[in-house]
Amino acid sequence: MPSVAVLIAVSVVAGFIGAMSGMGGGIVIIPVLTLLGVDIKQAIAASIISVIATSSGAASAYVRDRITNLRVGMFLEMFTIVGAIVGATITIVSGRAILFVVFGLVLLASWGALFLERGTERGTQERPRDRFTRSLDLRGTFYDAGERETIRYEGQRSWLGGPFMFVAGLTAGLLGIGAGALKVVIFELIMRLPSKVSTTTSNLIIGVTALAGTSVYLAAGLIDPALAAPVVLGILPGALIGTRVLVRLTNRSVRLFFMVVLVVLGLEMIWRGLAGVG
Amino acid sequence: MSAPRDVVGLMDTLIGWILLAGVSISVVLLSLALVWQWVVTGSPALTFALPGTSLVSFLLSLGAVTGAASAPQALADLGLAVLMLTPYVRVLASVVFFAFVEHDWKYVAFTSFVGAVLTYSLFLR
Repeated sequence: MPSVAVLIAVSVVAGFIGAMSGMGGGIVIIPVLTLLGVDIKQAIAASIISVIATSSGAASAYVRDRITNLRVGMFLEMFTIVGAIVGATITIVSGRAILFVVFGLVLLASWGALFLERGTERGTQERPRDRFTRSLDLRGTFYDAGERETIRYEGQRSWLGGPFMFVAGLTAGLLGIGAGALKVVIFELIMRLPSKVSTTTSNLIIGVTALAGTSVYLAAGLIDPALAAPVVLGILPGALIGTRVLVRLTNRSVRLFFMVVLVVLGLEMIWRGLAGVG
Repeated sequence: MSAPRDVVGLMDTLIGWILLAGVSISVVLLSLALVWQWVVTGSPALTFALPGTSLVSFLLSLGAVTGAASAPQALADLGLAVLMLTPYVRVLASVVFFAFVEHDWKYVAFTSFVGAVLTYSLFLR
């Protein structure tokens, strides 16, 4: 087990890179912990409990800013929590080599998903075509401080968003990550919600989803306080600093650098899984 | 039926504070655990393990951890428990919101389903 100082230091860096890249700290800390000799299942368990901290911390601010859509969040949480329990259960019974490969593949896929984001800042005000989505009343308004106007929107295709969110929850529970990038893509591309609503509502869902997965890992005896405590205490400030810096950052090449780091980590995980290097 | 906007705003604020308070208390407890362990043993590394258990059993076992030497364990356990309960409390608050403020029974059913699955997960062992 690495020392507490090392665990906190790498967690701060992971939280920072996770926030800068928009993919969350879990996706960085798990490969790094395994490089430091931590068992991948314990790394996943420590990561998923830290996800509760980072998402709840961020969501607390977003909810008070009244951008988060509670209705959208509560509807989709029904799918993500079931997915998370299934995903965490699969991890517990899976071999370690396959987890390395799957983690690497999901990391590359999530990274690619960021480039697919074609969401609009404003979403849409169209009435949904299907009766089911209309019945859910997924309308909302928020004040966009950047645009200096009130944005009105209405969620679309919830019948498709739900099952996709099950997959996002499964990914989160399976790999101990927030899977925020995947959730935001579903919000924007399928449900056509505005970018700010997508990001903030995704944050709210991530905490509850992580709790469902954490319960499974706790029951399996994979939550190690010696690992989880320093990781939580490191990732949280790292993510806060990363978010602050990101707001001021305009240089795309800097962000691109962090994206390259994530690709390298993804390829490295796949290689270790295929080579049987645990 | 929708509640007045100021009531909805109040609920948003309440949920925001629940999340912030939960994370803050947890961070303080976990920090204290590491510092206390450092003072007692000369190293901040926690040395106890958690057996496979449900969160409910885990919470019930906290009372059995006594003595100054066991204080870091109790603090770390409590810190992790508070962190895990934070989103759970938020879901319970949402059920109350949709039932008693919005009177939206469809969303009461949705949030109750989420609460029921989470409650089941807290009893997993």
